[in-house]
Amino acid sequence: MKIKNGKDFWAGLMFLGFGIGFMIASRQYPMGTAVRMGPSYFPTVLGGLLTVLGAVVFFRAFVSKVHHSIEVFPFRWTLLVAGGILAAIMYASAGWWAGLGMGRTSILLQYGLNALAIFVIMAAFGPRPLVVIMISVVLFGYLLKPFGLVIATGVLIIVSAWGGHEFKLREVLIMFVVLAAFSVATFIYGLALPINIWPDLG
Amino acid sequence: MEQLFANLAIGFGVALSLQNLFYCFIGVMLGTLIGVLPGIGPVATIAMLLPVTFTLSPISALIMLAGIYYGAQYGGSTTAILVNIPGESSSVVTCLDGYQMARQGRAGPALGMSAIGSFIAGTFSTAVIALFAPPLAEVALKFGPAEYTSLMVLGLIAATVLAHGSLVKAIAMVILGLLLGLVGTDVNSGVARFNFGISELSDGIGFVSVAMGVFGFAEIISNLEESGKAGEREIFVKKVSNLLPSLQDFKDCTGAIIRGTLLGSALGILPGGGALLASFAAYTLEKKVSWNKANFGKGAIQGVAAPESANNAGAQTSFIPLLTLGIPSNPVMALMIGAMMIQGIAPGPQVMTERPQLFWGMIASMWVGNLMLVILNLPLIGMWIKLLTVPYRILYPAILLFCCVGVYSISNSPFDVMQTALFGIVGYVFVRLECEPAPLILGFILGPLMEENLRRAMLLSRGSPMTFIERPISAVMLAIAVFLLLITVAPAVRKTREVAFVEE
Repeated sequence: MKIKNGKDFWAGLMFLGFGIGFMIASRQYPMGTAVRMGPSYFPTVLGGLLTVLGAVVFFRAFVSKVHHSIEVFPFRWTLLVAGGILAAIMYASAGWWAGLGMGRTSILLQYGLNALAIFVIMAAFGPRPLVVIMISVVLFGYLLKPFGLVIATGVLIIVSAWGGHEFKLREVLIMFVVLAAFSVATFIYGLALPINIWPDLG
Repeated sequence: MEQLFANLAIGFGVALSLQNLFYCFIGVMLGTLIGVLPGIGPVATIAMLLPVTFTLSPISALIMLAGIYYGAQYGGSTTAILVNIPGESSSVVTCLDGYQMARQGRAGPALGMSAIGSFIAGTFSTAVIALFAPPLAEVALKFGPAEYTSLMVLGLIAATVLAHGSLVKAIAMVILGLLLGLVGTDVNSGVARFNFGISELSDGIGFVSVAMGVFGFAEIISNLEESGKAGEREIFVKKVSNLLPSLQDFKDCTGAIIRGTLLGSALGILPGGGALLASFAAYTLEKKVSWNKANFGKGAIQGVAAPESANNAGAQTSFIPLLTLGIPSNPVMALMIGAMMIQGIAPGPQVMTERPQLFWGMIASMWVGNLMLVILNLPLIGMWIKLLTVPYRILYPAILLFCCVGVYSISNSPFDVMQTALFGIVGYVFVRLECEPAPLILGFILGPLMEENLRRAMLLSRGSPMTFIERPISAVMLAIAVFLLLITVAPAVRKTREVAFVEE
């Protein structure tokens, strides 16, 4: 058996995973009867259907007339290994960080390193724009409250611009100034969103 | 009839208030803007703006969001004609003849005619909504849970049949969407399902996160990947002069505009229909029946007028199932339902009777918006052309910023941002695996509704699934769904379906 359609192969696996996953996860809830359906009834039925369809897509990958390489996603060994090692270290040292005696800083550091491990593993499979842009988005989400809108905007703009194909520092800096001014004006003065402009030092 | 005019008077009263005129204007301007810009569509924009609508009144919010959708149909044609790139997926066929006209120095009449055709179609389809929505809502009020369940099945099946690509994958995406929609607290038992101990998930997966991640972020990432391969886009910017088509052009286009409008209005109402389907079908029809068919693809003005009228008509009539049945026919309508639910309005036939201001105000605003588009757009075309020269590397960080602030402001926590990023990754995987995300979002919005109606129907029938076949309306709807599935897998249709969507 040879895989002819790599896209169907992975899509089939994905649907199978979701289908079986939902069916297993549903088992912890009461099933009920057809008259009085419990919380597990509908998801179990749907999960079963999805599993069947996933299997169809999966097996179609072997007989498909459409040909796609199995390498739908890029794959980098080094990053996978590095991320795996970091993740293992973080998992093993999970209890150690809180006892470090640095208060909130150590916990933030732990979270940061955890996230880094996940992103490095992700980067092993994803193309550059995907990884860089998602990192910039998550950074923005976590920086916004402690550091304020201006700094979070700066990080988002600079990191995400770095994810594209052309990076011109001057252009990015101008963009940062314009967008930071614009977003402060619209979101804070215009829409009155409860966000700090500058870092919250209090 | 008198009732109709009284209702329309209420509607215009609402739509013409200063505040609503302002939001209608913002909506159509934004719609045109994102319609002009390739690589960002109405779905992503509406998803981005959902959090902003929290602060508006329900009617203003819906007027603005609706304006984005039909405004995008106007904007999309500008890019198609001048740059030969569809600014909007529903303008794909407009490229064929529109760009040829531009090369022959007739960009002006092409732009003018598409705007005029769109306006005529917009006016007509507004009337269609005003005429057909009330009786349909009357019928829908009589629907029981069994009918609703079958209706949703039909809507979802129709959406998968019309999605391009593999049918099996599309159905799988619907089911995955339904399942994701079930995450969160079960209304009947109070059990928090599939939340993996994360308290934020007890309210369900955020609709904005899914929509913005799958449509917004995934689109940006795919665009960045594409732009690495292709060079800078070439822009056909010649001085566009003389927007008014000649008398001869008007004579040539009358038939095309009428056919496009009628076909578009009809296809918009169908579940799974909307602007995209309407424009493709109108172009194909026009190519078959026009006396000028030899010229199609070489700059026939009918090839611009027909699909542009049709996509606008289709965009507007696709509001009918939303307003009368509470069932979304395409992803944009799914987002509109999301917006209604955010505002605390349960979508369904009762909207018309319980909130006539909202219902008729929205319909009236569509006509007002179309008028604004025609008056504003033609003089502003120069500005839109300038916008096209802005490179994508400057646009996307700005888009990202608005997305992020919007998502963050939903609950002022990084959790939603994180969740959106996650769905961005998932959306990218879908794109790479050729799984259409549109059926997923329809399933997602209908998941809880469908479960509730299924439960009620089964309770009423004492557990007999035969109720879906014994009740005539329900049986007919299921029969149509089965029929749709059968003709899709039938070899003949399968072939034409592949051909029809190959151009995308």
